[in-house]
Amino acid sequence: MSDFSRIMTLAKRLMRERLFSTRMYIMFPILLLFIPGMAWGFSDPNIVLPGGHQPESPMEVLFYASLGVVFGATMCAVLLSYDSVSRERASGVLELRLSQPMPRAHQALAMILGSWRAILVPTWILLFCSVLIVRYRMGEWPSMFDCLIYFISTALILLWYVLFTLLASSYTREQATAISFGVGLWFLFTFLWALVTTMVAYASGVSIGQENNAAWLMLEGGLDLLSPNGVYHHLLETRLPQIERGIRAWQIWAMALAWTILPCWLFIRRMEKILP
Amino acid sequence: MEEVVLRLEDATYRHTLYAPLPLKPWRKISGQGIFSANLSLHKGTVLGLVGPNGAGKTTLLRMMAGILPLQEGAVHGFEKESSTILSDVDLRTVVGHMPEQVRWQGGKTVRNALLEIGEMRLVSESRIDGLLKLVGLRSRIDAPLNELSQGMRQRLTLAAALLGSPKILLLDEPLNGLDPVAAAAFIVLLGKLTDKGVSIVISSHQVEGLVGIIDRLALMHRGQILAEGTMLQVAQQLNLKIKTEVSGEGIAPDFSKFLTTSKHLKVVQSSSNWRAVLDQSEPGLLHKFVTEGIEITSWTIRQPNVIEMLCAATGQSIEDVGLEVSSTAVMPLRTFRGEEE
Repeated sequence: MSDFSRIMTLAKRLMRERLFSTRMYIMFPILLLFIPGMAWGFSDPNIVLPGGHQPESPMEVLFYASLGVVFGATMCAVLLSYDSVSRERASGVLELRLSQPMPRAHQALAMILGSWRAILVPTWILLFCSVLIVRYRMGEWPSMFDCLIYFISTALILLWYVLFTLLASSYTREQATAISFGVGLWFLFTFLWALVTTMVAYASGVSIGQENNAAWLMLEGGLDLLSPNGVYHHLLETRLPQIERGIRAWQIWAMALAWTILPCWLFIRRMEKILP
Repeated sequence: MEEVVLRLEDATYRHTLYAPLPLKPWRKISGQGIFSANLSLHKGTVLGLVGPNGAGKTTLLRMMAGILPLQEGAVHGFEKESSTILSDVDLRTVVGHMPEQVRWQGGKTVRNALLEIGEMRLVSESRIDGLLKLVGLRSRIDAPLNELSQGMRQRLTLAAALLGSPKILLLDEPLNGLDPVAAAAFIVLLGKLTDKGVSIVISSHQVEGLVGIIDRLALMHRGQILAEGTMLQVAQQLNLKIKTEVSGEGIAPDFSKFLTTSKHLKVVQSSSNWRAVLDQSEPGLLHKFVTEGIEITSWTIRQPNVIEMLCAATGQSIEDVGLEVSSTAVMPLRTFRGEEE
């Protein structure tokens, strides 16, 4: 068996364990409500959004429905992975794992893939349902490329939250600290980032919240690159030509790559040095 | 002498401790650990690691298991008269490690938990089923981990340590949580493994329970191996002599009449009987007692026990070794390379 297939087999086991855990049974209804529920709501032909705006295309509806991913799926990613390392460390199982000949970097990769796929599989199924709902309600399919970007972006944001949580879990000996870190980070990027943006704008002398102000849009778009949720929305906006925030596609994809590689590298490095 | 399979040579590992200063909050220093350990494991033998709390037994086992990296020194592996320096990954391949008190938990079944660890060693499912049978968990194969008792968890940990048919087995407090029957069965299993050529290292606080199991003994204190060898060799290294214990009824006799020297005599007199311990053997003593008509109820020749060896090696009394953790755990006994920063 090659190293790759060994990693994938182990990841599959970890995924299955989390996918059929009590936690997932509790969270799945929440995901169901958030993801297809939002697609249903935003695809209503009579919906009027704040400012009198009405979604015009299936991709725009999917973009608004992505709030379900930001609020629901990312939180579920945190709740599924917060004890991946800390629980095993506390119970002594980590010591057993570390005494196996499989390289620690491979074990870390399997852990990442297992935890990620455990939240990715149900989320992707629900995204697919959302696409069907949009087709049913609007009578129009989103393009293949729109769907591809939607699915890939969602996979990436979930991976980032899983990585942050795993990293926290590997540093903390108590599971409560790991979950506090994960939820705190989720809170920062989901709710408090707007406050950070406002404060930076205020400090820079930029008028806050002016939709027609290019300086505000640039600043907001730039700061969003420093938040996983912001990068997620930037990625989705690459398929919405009516939204222009002055950030180029290559910058967005470069940041997406950075958000993926940096925490991944940190986690693998951490696992290579971790003590039981 | 048995063939050496593994040798630690000046193996050193010191734990990193945080010692923040007001202007340097990230400051770290090297703390306690293992200092220049030299130890040989012989094929098909059981080595007992004995030492007070904080002596470094678990740290040494983790170094031998390839979990903690060596900071100095080397581990040599021997096979067919050739010696190689083993890396951490090499060690993890040939060593099976049973950590102390693994608290298996969750809804996962016993079999799945072992399969998951087995994936890391490419162990077949049939081998896993065989191991579960060997450790007596066949009837609990589909039971969730949450339903296992402490003894069953110990058995599962042992099964995990035996995955990959290791040549060297490291057991950290393996008898904890096992009922007397299971402990006896466990000792029988160890015998079977040594017959197959597996070298076993057992660390335990239950020192007296170890005597019947071990072939060799290593005494540890403050991160160092103070003495190593067979029980007899260790006793000789520590200059401990065979003792004679005599007891009888009534008033203790005047030993000065029978002994050439009374320096090595300890007499305890209770209301109806007496007990004397002689640190040195006295030729013809029993004959003299019988001739003088002194009633003796027991006469025992006793080898030095592990606790006496430990006390002799550490220079501490039983109370110090058994209860005072801080005095034994913080600083090494000998001077070591690099003082505390």
